[in-house]
Amino acid sequence: MNTKISIVLIEDEKNIRGFMAATLTAQGYKVSTAPTAKVGISLITSGCPDLILLDLGLPDMDGIEVIREIRTWASIPIIVISARTQEQEKVLALDNGADDYITKPFGPSELMARIRTALRHSNRLQTDSLLNQRSYRAEELMVDFEKRLVTLAGSEIHLTQIEYKIVSLLAKNSGKVITYDTIISNVWGPYADDNNRILRVNMANIRRKIEKNPAEPHYIFTEIGIGYRMLEDKES
Amino acid sequence: MQRFFYFLPSKQDYKKKRGRDALITLLLLILATALSFLYFDISQNSANVALLYILALVLIARITDGYLWGIFASLIGVVCVNFLFTYPYLALNFTLAGYPVTFIGMLAISLITSAATTHMKQQMQMLAERERLLVEAEKEKMRANLLRAISHDLRTPLTSIIGAGNSYLETGDFLDESQKKELVKQICEDSNWLLNMVENLLSVTRIQGGEANVNKSLESVEEVVSEAVIRLKKRLPDAKIHVQVPDELILIPMDAILIEQVLINLLENAILHSKSSQPISCHVEEEGESIVFHVRDYGIGIPPERIRTIFDGTPYTGNPSPDSSKGMGIGLSICKTIVAAHKGTICAHSCPQGTDFSFSLPQTTESGGSHP
Repeated sequence: MNTKISIVLIEDEKNIRGFMAATLTAQGYKVSTAPTAKVGISLITSGCPDLILLDLGLPDMDGIEVIREIRTWASIPIIVISARTQEQEKVLALDNGADDYITKPFGPSELMARIRTALRHSNRLQTDSLLNQRSYRAEELMVDFEKRLVTLAGSEIHLTQIEYKIVSLLAKNSGKVITYDTIISNVWGPYADDNNRILRVNMANIRRKIEKNPAEPHYIFTEIGIGYRMLEDKES
Repeated sequence: MQRFFYFLPSKQDYKKKRGRDALITLLLLILATALSFLYFDISQNSANVALLYILALVLIARITDGYLWGIFASLIGVVCVNFLFTYPYLALNFTLAGYPVTFIGMLAISLITSAATTHMKQQMQMLAERERLLVEAEKEKMRANLLRAISHDLRTPLTSIIGAGNSYLETGDFLDESQKKELVKQICEDSNWLLNMVENLLSVTRIQGGEANVNKSLESVEEVVSEAVIRLKKRLPDAKIHVQVPDELILIPMDAILIEQVLINLLENAILHSKSSQPISCHVEEEGESIVFHVRDYGIGIPPERIRTIFDGTPYTGNPSPDSSKGMGIGLSICKTIVAAHKGTICAHSCPQGTDFSFSLPQTTESGGSHP
């Protein structure tokens, strides 16, 4: 690796900042840390990092505001760090342009996986849009976006139009959490009722078609109160 | 008598009550007089007229508060009998033979009835008060138990974390790599456990004002169950759990984060305390109006005297060494709180092998809920 991937970490807790910076440095990333939103934003504007890790509970500024401000001029992937019970805040952050979130406490492997996913998606968007059309493969599941075909262990899975739309949206964003609202407006259109009951029903049907045991999902995971996350594409 | 302080009516209540009592007294006296006139007209016999007044008197003393109205009514009664129904009519004659006996008799009846009534009312108040105090004491006891259980449960892992940290810092030079790793691993395990405990306690704060005040929305049962299992497996990767949900999609109103916590607590207990390598079974059933979640282990079981109080948050005293297990007390009492706040029930049954913990949640919200 000739140029290290640079990450800006905005987190007010000194101990957490310390351990995250140590982990990231050990993994070969170049990390700049900021204890406040103001410092963080100036680091981002001057350094143009490849990725931003942002704690939502900052002393000087609301995390959501930070996301909005960054999103006015940059599409750098943002991963939000938050506590488990703040579903509302997570949804708000995602709907305001954050790419993903990670729940405290997390281990280094989880953090690395999220960072890799976010970087991969941003690279894909920037470099070659054709890559976006490449089919999704993870374990035995394959989604061919060109042929609109879903296969499990080689045999075709028959999905309805709506079910296919949901699966392909999740597959194109595999590894990332997609909020209920995003799925609904992508599948049923922007004026759809935001009642997510119909989404649950469709998801239950999809699970019964692609999962061995819908109560122990292998491919599509639920993030309760937030949305769904599909198992990450393995061929990347 | 100080405890009756709570029950003393306010001044306004008092006035209202007095007005009501006066009205009742007056009405009953008028009724008695009217009936007496009717009776006297028909039979021309004044002996039973006094009985009618006595009846009114008993009723007045029974219904009104205190002695005042009874005494007042007995005076009126005596005067009425004397004035209206004994010869000479429409004139007071206190020199009649036997008259003082009638008067004293009526007064005595009124006093005794009033006294009995007042006494009865006082006792009823006392009973109600005693009941309230009992409930309060029970709550206080549960709170104290929970606090004791928490401090005990928190202290154990904290002691071990501090111990491991200190020995790493102070004697690190004499330890080899694997010993150091072991210490750090211990710190990790204990802090993970502590975090789970704190999350449990935090989840209780989501229940505001106790009963049935949770933020419910329609959630898919299978998603909640699977999320709980995934989160638990993240913490205990070796856990073996068989999950089964009904074939049809079930959506029920609940606070998913809280129900997830209940499932995690039950599953974790089953894994850590059943002392069995057989997989835990977690299944969901539809039973009439409610959905029942089962967590079944095939382990050593729970003694019957323990199972009765298992959800009360009391630390298990039958355990020979108090520090041997990180208590299951708090986790289960929090489960009970959460399930109760959802208007559900939770229970534990001993099976021939192992234990079956189950909780049920109602399928419908009686209030109509916050969802469309």
